[in-house]
Amino acid sequence: MTVDSSSIHEGDELPLLHIQPSLGMVIRFCALQWTFPVFFYDADAARAAGLPGTIVPGPLKVGLLYRAVDEWLGGAGWVRQVRAAHRRPDPTNSPIDIAGRVARVYEEGGKRRADLELAIINQEGQPSVRGFAVVEFH
Amino acid sequence: MSTHLATLVLVPEQSLLTDEVRALIGSETPAGTVQVTPRGWRHAVEVYTGRVPAETPAPGESVSGYAIAALETENGGTSRIPDLMPNSLLIANQWEFERPLRMGETLTASSRIVDITERFGGRFGYSIDFRTESVYRDATGAVVARGGITMTQYDVRDARSEEGAG
Repeated sequence: MTVDSSSIHEGDELPLLHIQPSLGMVIRFCALQWTFPVFFYDADAARAAGLPGTIVPGPLKVGLLYRAVDEWLGGAGWVRQVRAAHRRPDPTNSPIDIAGRVARVYEEGGKRRADLELAIINQEGQPSVRGFAVVEFH
Repeated sequence: MSTHLATLVLVPEQSLLTDEVRALIGSETPAGTVQVTPRGWRHAVEVYTGRVPAETPAPGESVSGYAIAALETENGGTSRIPDLMPNSLLIANQWEFERPLRMGETLTASSRIVDITERFGGRFGYSIDFRTESVYRDATGAVVARGGITMTQYDVRDARSEEGAG
């Protein structure tokens, strides 16, 4: 589905993206970056570092925010920027929801753009990540 | 022990932000070249979406920004951050694009430490934040993309909560 950029308004909500990041996803991410902090895949090491267990890497979560925005755009534009402020760890295999809202629609450089407010919501309903994105429509 | 004294003992007697550490601010790693490859793009799409793409974009075609995560493999942008504290966590990060990445293009990468700051008595106790940026330029020198991260280093024994992100 492609969003209709001409009918986007401030306050519009993005569809919730429901994901359950698995340990397999985390390990594939580590391989992509070729960096393997032990607390991402070893529960004992994670607890020794003060974490509740293995967690979803922050850089993976910014990509999941990107995915939520990209899927909402559906080819109607492209993502210029995505930012994430990490508030709480998300344990692996725990479901999360990615929520978003159009905060501003504007013209810049002759292009129609929108600012989006984003959040990753954990099982307890708490935001584990506060995010922000800028998109440009074709 | 009073609350005030308990707070005081969490702070080192001397700042860990020595002149040697501060001198790292602004210093750039030697530039290297990276490429948006079909393999890197496919792997990135698989990681972030869980789907195996049916087709690979043609050379020069726009690709999703996920590919920047595969570019960072080549750069190793944060490797020069000194280990001043025993634990570290990512607290913020971002991707920025001036235009979509293109399949097959070669970019020149550089990274630098933008800022180093110390915090007293936050949720991690005494902690040090490192903000770094990787910049990717095309053959004309124009900036195509940036990746930024903020890491905090802390001692888990002084942290008041498990907040942070990874």
